[in-house]
Amino acid sequence: MTPTTVAAPATTDTPPQRVSATSKARGAALLAVALLGAVALPAVVDSYTASIASTALVLATLAMSAQIVTGLAGLPTTGQAAYLGVGAYTAALLANAGLSNGPAQLVAAAASGAAAAAVTAPFVLRSRGTAFLMVTFAVGELARTVASKWATVTGGDDGLQAPPVTIWPGTAPLRAEGYIYLYLLGCFLILAAAVAVLLRTRLALVLRGAADHEPRLGALGHHVTRSLFAGWTAAGALAGAAGALLIAANHHVSPADMHLDMSALALLAAAIGVGTMRGAVAGAVLIVVVRDLIGAETGGHALTLVGLAFLLTAYRRPITARLRTWTARRRA
Amino acid sequence: MGVTYAVTALDGVAFGLLLFVVGAGLMLIFGVMDVLNLAHGSLFLGGAYIGYLLGGSGLLDLAAAVAAGAVLGAGGGVALGLAMRPLVGHGHLEQALATLGISFVAADAYTSGFGGAPLPVNPPELLAGTVTLGRHGYPTYRLGFIIVAALLAVLLHLTITRSRHGVLLRATVADPAMAAATGINTRMVQTLAMAAGGALAVTAGVLGAPLLGPAPGVDTTVLVLSLIIVIIGGAGSIPGALVAALLVGQVQTVGVIAAPTAAPFALLGVLLVVLTIRNRAQPAVHA
Repeated sequence: MTPTTVAAPATTDTPPQRVSATSKARGAALLAVALLGAVALPAVVDSYTASIASTALVLATLAMSAQIVTGLAGLPTTGQAAYLGVGAYTAALLANAGLSNGPAQLVAAAASGAAAAAVTAPFVLRSRGTAFLMVTFAVGELARTVASKWATVTGGDDGLQAPPVTIWPGTAPLRAEGYIYLYLLGCFLILAAAVAVLLRTRLALVLRGAADHEPRLGALGHHVTRSLFAGWTAAGALAGAAGALLIAANHHVSPADMHLDMSALALLAAAIGVGTMRGAVAGAVLIVVVRDLIGAETGGHALTLVGLAFLLTAYRRPITARLRTWTARRRA
Repeated sequence: MGVTYAVTALDGVAFGLLLFVVGAGLMLIFGVMDVLNLAHGSLFLGGAYIGYLLGGSGLLDLAAAVAAGAVLGAGGGVALGLAMRPLVGHGHLEQALATLGISFVAADAYTSGFGGAPLPVNPPELLAGTVTLGRHGYPTYRLGFIIVAALLAVLLHLTITRSRHGVLLRATVADPAMAAATGINTRMVQTLAMAAGGALAVTAGVLGAPLLGPAPGVDTTVLVLSLIIVIIGGAGSIPGALVAALLVGQVQTVGVIAAPTAAPFALLGVLLVVLTIRNRAQPAVHA
């Protein structure tokens, strides 16, 4: 099979050279409104909704990780939850060993996620296209099996409990859902800023080029393999950090958190975002709203709703093309 | 102790062959359409539920269930092919999302229809007993399953390597445009291959239901194991997939008993070693 690329449009957060000032200002205003809403959220909703919002932040972080691989480097991944699991188990083990400091857990989880990604990179990054889907899926599911069978470390299928995190040594642990949410939001914004910096580096340009035409980039003398390795490891670090956020939000991790469903949802969020980071975050929030708020009203059929969201996203291109010809014909 | 291992090894052969039949279907669909069917486990689970619904005490019930499964599976495969057509050529992300969406909806439908608990499926009365092998009894149905699945493997291999249909299939997989230029109706070949792939998965579910009963989550388990078989066996090689399936079957049965802690790592290790040795290029169908 020749190396094929995903036809994800290369739209990105880095503003193109000539963007009209009004659309740029509109984007910034939208971002500011979203940010204000996110900060004010725990003041206006009940603690149950705040806990759902925390879930959305975890998925949004994982979605950014998936977007680095899928939207930027053009490799659709179905195994990001494996690295989330590595980070979550690291954070939980540290918490149970007495390190309740949340930021320290976050750093350790990100480092372990990056390490796991670096170790698996030589195998995973040998494939492209459909084969990449297969290999990431297989690695993800096998990681889940390891987590469920390695009971002495991971607690088996029951998973690990972890005490609430503290923000600073000596301060009280975070117990109220609203405060947990605000802590996660702070972590998420720091991670998002780091991703924004990454998107403006040379590495991001090389990855984007590799997605479009890998052989040509190699012929131009770029170290494509090395860049892919760096991108993959960064995505692993981000997924590991999402694992630490999961521990802070749920105080619990089990192999179920590493299920294919989790990786699939991150991939869906990335796809909803059509290559952009903001889109991936919005997609993650949308998915959680559909699954946990709207889905709760369907009498246990939230999965079907999520499945339909998958199908709608998959067929967005043919559907919009059909609609466009239809409206054009009507106008003619 | 030795006898226990021998019996478990035979169980491993049965489980491996079950995975082989599912994996062969996955490989066919992957081969002709370059689509990774992430809903393949759902097809298998659908077959297992058909086995639960139609399978009764008589052999005729089993035959009816197999026939229904083959027809529905073929229909499902063709429907999947039609559903994938608008997405082909637009990259693999959309195809993955579409098949994942189908598997989510199917999983919800199965739980709504059959509940969340594992369901027991008994083999027909005639095959419910045990056969004495040496000094040890072995379930007749399992032995029968091994024979049927082995025959199926041989038949598949011969069809792909020796028959005219196999030649047309290999030509279509290798170079669809060139195959079409020589007058092969590639669309028909694709449709037939999709039908065969779907039928293999669902039939494996019907026949395998007494071995691996229908339950939520079985779809993911079967999907990942059959996928590992396709990866290890080398996409497109029936003998390779068979060897990989038997290997995975042994790891999942004998390995779990002999080395409970090492078994989960063993599969990951085998996969990573194969990926390291294997050339990056994925071979086409060249059985």
